[in-house]
Amino acid sequence: MSLESLIPALVVLPILGFAVTALIGRRLDKQAHWIPVLTIFAVWVIAMALVVDVLSGTAPLLPGSEESHGYAVTWFTWIPAGAFHVDVGFVVDSLTACLLIVVTTIGLLVHVYSIGYMSHDAGYWRFFAYLNLFMFSMLLLVLASNFLVVFVAWELVGLCSYLLIGFWYRKRSAALAAKKAFIVNRVGDIGFALGIMLIFVSLGTLDIREVIERIGELDGTTIMVISLLIFAGAMGKSAQFPLHVWLPDAMEGPTPVSALIHAATMVNAGIYLIARSNPIFAHAPSALVVVAAVGIFTAILAASIAMTQTDIKRVLAYSTLSQLGYMFAAFGVGAWTAAIFHLMTHGFFKGLLFLGSGSVIHAVHEEQDMRNMGGLSSKIKITYWTMLIGSLAISGIPPLAAFFSKDEILGEAYKFGFLWVWAVGFVVAGMTAFYMFRLMGLTFWGTFRGPKAIWDKIHESSPVMTIPLIVLAIPTLFLGAYLGLPLGASRIAEWLEPVFAEGLHVLHTEAEPSYELFGLDGVLILASVTIAAVGMVIGWRLFGVGIGPIRMPSRPERVRELSARVPFLYRASLNKWWFDDLNHVLFIVIGGRIAAAFWWFDREVVDGTVNAVGASTVDAGRGLRQVQTGRVQNYALGIAIGLIVMAGSYLLLAR
Amino acid sequence: MLMHRLVPIILGLAVIGVVTAVAAAMLVFLGQNWADALFWIFAAVMIGSGLMVVTMRDIIRCGLAMIVCFGALAGIYVILGATLLAAAQVIVYIGAISVLILFAIMLTQTKDAPSRLVFQTQAVPAAIASIVIAIIIALAVVATDWGEAAQRFRITADALSKVLFESYVLPFEVISVLLLAAVIGGVYLAKREPGGPS
Amino acid sequence: MSGSLDAYLILAGLLFAIGSFGFLARRNAISMLMSIELMLNAVNLSIVAFGAFGTDAAMAAQGSVVALMVIAVAAAEATVGLAIVIAIYRNKRTPLVDEYDAMSQ
Repeated sequence: MSLESLIPALVVLPILGFAVTALIGRRLDKQAHWIPVLTIFAVWVIAMALVVDVLSGTAPLLPGSEESHGYAVTWFTWIPAGAFHVDVGFVVDSLTACLLIVVTTIGLLVHVYSIGYMSHDAGYWRFFAYLNLFMFSMLLLVLASNFLVVFVAWELVGLCSYLLIGFWYRKRSAALAAKKAFIVNRVGDIGFALGIMLIFVSLGTLDIREVIERIGELDGTTIMVISLLIFAGAMGKSAQFPLHVWLPDAMEGPTPVSALIHAATMVNAGIYLIARSNPIFAHAPSALVVVAAVGIFTAILAASIAMTQTDIKRVLAYSTLSQLGYMFAAFGVGAWTAAIFHLMTHGFFKGLLFLGSGSVIHAVHEEQDMRNMGGLSSKIKITYWTMLIGSLAISGIPPLAAFFSKDEILGEAYKFGFLWVWAVGFVVAGMTAFYMFRLMGLTFWGTFRGPKAIWDKIHESSPVMTIPLIVLAIPTLFLGAYLGLPLGASRIAEWLEPVFAEGLHVLHTEAEPSYELFGLDGVLILASVTIAAVGMVIGWRLFGVGIGPIRMPSRPERVRELSARVPFLYRASLNKWWFDDLNHVLFIVIGGRIAAAFWWFDREVVDGTVNAVGASTVDAGRGLRQVQTGRVQNYALGIAIGLIVMAGSYLLLAR
Repeated sequence: MLMHRLVPIILGLAVIGVVTAVAAAMLVFLGQNWADALFWIFAAVMIGSGLMVVTMRDIIRCGLAMIVCFGALAGIYVILGATLLAAAQVIVYIGAISVLILFAIMLTQTKDAPSRLVFQTQAVPAAIASIVIAIIIALAVVATDWGEAAQRFRITADALSKVLFESYVLPFEVISVLLLAAVIGGVYLAKREPGGPS
Repeated sequence: MSGSLDAYLILAGLLFAIGSFGFLARRNAISMLMSIELMLNAVNLSIVAFGAFGTDAAMAAQGSVVALMVIAVAAAEATVGLAIVIAIYRNKRTPLVDEYDAMSQ
């Protein structure tokens, strides 16, 4: 059994796991986790084997390429409709390998974590069934070799997101959040669908490799439109402005869901799609500028909101939005490798942070408001230390993960001439450090602000939940260094070069800007570390810190004072810049009025016409009925008149 | 008393006198022959009594007017030369059918018959339709060229019976069956239900 | 005048029109039947006239014969019609055709 033949197993196993769990899960009840977990474990093993094979170069060359190693498998023909031919096939190249690492590892850890987190839930088996279905969809998405299959997987992922966000469906806010997520996603999906249609109309094929080969045949405008449409889809799935409104509300779902879907996998689907289509974007530089602008704007927007949120999960949600914005900005400026690098590191440390926050919530008995937490560092040690590592990572403190990836993004932005992107990203880096340590301060340091009864019952979570945290902490610590070094010829750049080289070549940029430890690069690195440290220290001073020798008390009164100084900004941040209200007015209120007008039209005009036809028929019948008097003489008069008419017309006309 | 008996006799004599006078006048002053004069007289009587049939209030009088009409028609048959037919007209129509009708009138009389309306609500349209029918027939007749035929033939009983029993013997037999059926049907329809309303 | 076919035909038409007016406008059922007799007689007259002004003597005889048939049929029809009127009269107690509207809507 060769590795190549196992590729379809990557999608078959999860869907089988879903089917089996869905059918008999209710009876298995508390044992329902075995099948899904084992399924995903098997998937992880196969995926890791594939990854090692592809990235180390032992895999064969992909057909049609001189440098790219990987596997291209066609599983079966889905639509053989003459000119419209769609095969379901899988492509595993180095880009896929990078995604597989993130998706399968975090997927497996979340499955294990959920055994503990969801243990008290009545819908235990349902949760695992949905998780498996999600893994199936996500794996299909990253492995697919045809745009249409990607779209199908895209929609499936959206469906699973809906099912999982609304998992506690009896809770109204959860159901509404699930609907919101699905609908906003849909808006983006329309763009993606249009893009696919346009690709088919222009090129006649939807196979990704074929499209990439032949994209040069089209004229610039078409390519730009296609790029923008595909980006629209990515905007929906990866929650960029203005389709970002669903992600914070998606925190209504259970925390493992937030970790898996909304930090590490589904939201990365947008980035993956764009990275996979990079040759298309390479021919449309103006589209790339749009991508960069939207991305970096989302980054600062989300960061500004995260600074005042009080729900621990919302802070992390906005943080995710912000980091995704970074990735899109990176892509937009041409730093494609950096974008994927950040995707990988972010997946791990954000997953860690979310699972850690889940552990915190579990410890304080389902309390999510940080104002009621505090001082937890003494009680839940493992959670505390892993989250500290995660916070340091996301802030960009060397030598942890995000330092390398974020710094590469900013550095390349500066060097490719996108100074505005660099400037905004720079500020966002500081804000990131600030709000993360605000979160740490409110949650772990200082004194507990909740009820005493809960304080006594706080305990560390079970090993089935803490072990995934520890496992995730390892890549958080080391992945950055592993992938990002040596500077200038990083390992990840080497991996991804075959995928991006041609596109970058078209874009007329240097494929690998070289790093100098001193000189311009050194200055940039120093600058970003500095701003991160500044943000961190400001967070410490306002919200307290207690790491080893570094101790500072929290100063809530100073916080209030500072917020009072910038009332508009504070309120804007607290109200998420009023975007939800704007959407409400635009679509619910105004849309509702328009819908009511159409309903009136339908009721009165359309139905009225139909009813009028019926009524007029009845009235006509009633009128005509008068003719039938039942009296022979009336009928005889009719005969006489008819006779007169016939005879008269004969006389007049035939003579 | 005596005057009451005399009135109808005097009336009858007056009518005969008037008709003779008119005929004589037509003969003498208008220079027409007998056939024409009689034709006009009979035609006038027929039309007049026909109008009386359809307009008079009392049904018995309508029936009597109808008898007069049939009589005038018999006269016209004679002018046309169909003497046997004229005899048949008088015997059958006046002698049988009119009597039948009068009997039926008597059997279906209601108490307040004369005081009610004579005509239907659709009388006016009916009148208009009838006038138009008459006009159309007249126009059609006048506009048609009927060909040369100034001579009228006298139909002898001999000739008539020859045609009747040679060419038309089948219809003759059929009609006798038809009459039988009609009589039986009429008797059955008008029969009183046993024990039913009288 | 009596020598032209037109006169007889116009006379017949006139009588027919009178009969049809009576049929359409009178309320009593027996009056309607009398009007029908008038119409039949008008037709009879026209048949005899056509026969009399025909091509030869045979045709005149034929006209007479047909008219004879018509008279016989009219008699039969009058019989049956009157029987029906009497039967209806027994049910409805009135000879007026206004009341015979059981088949109305």
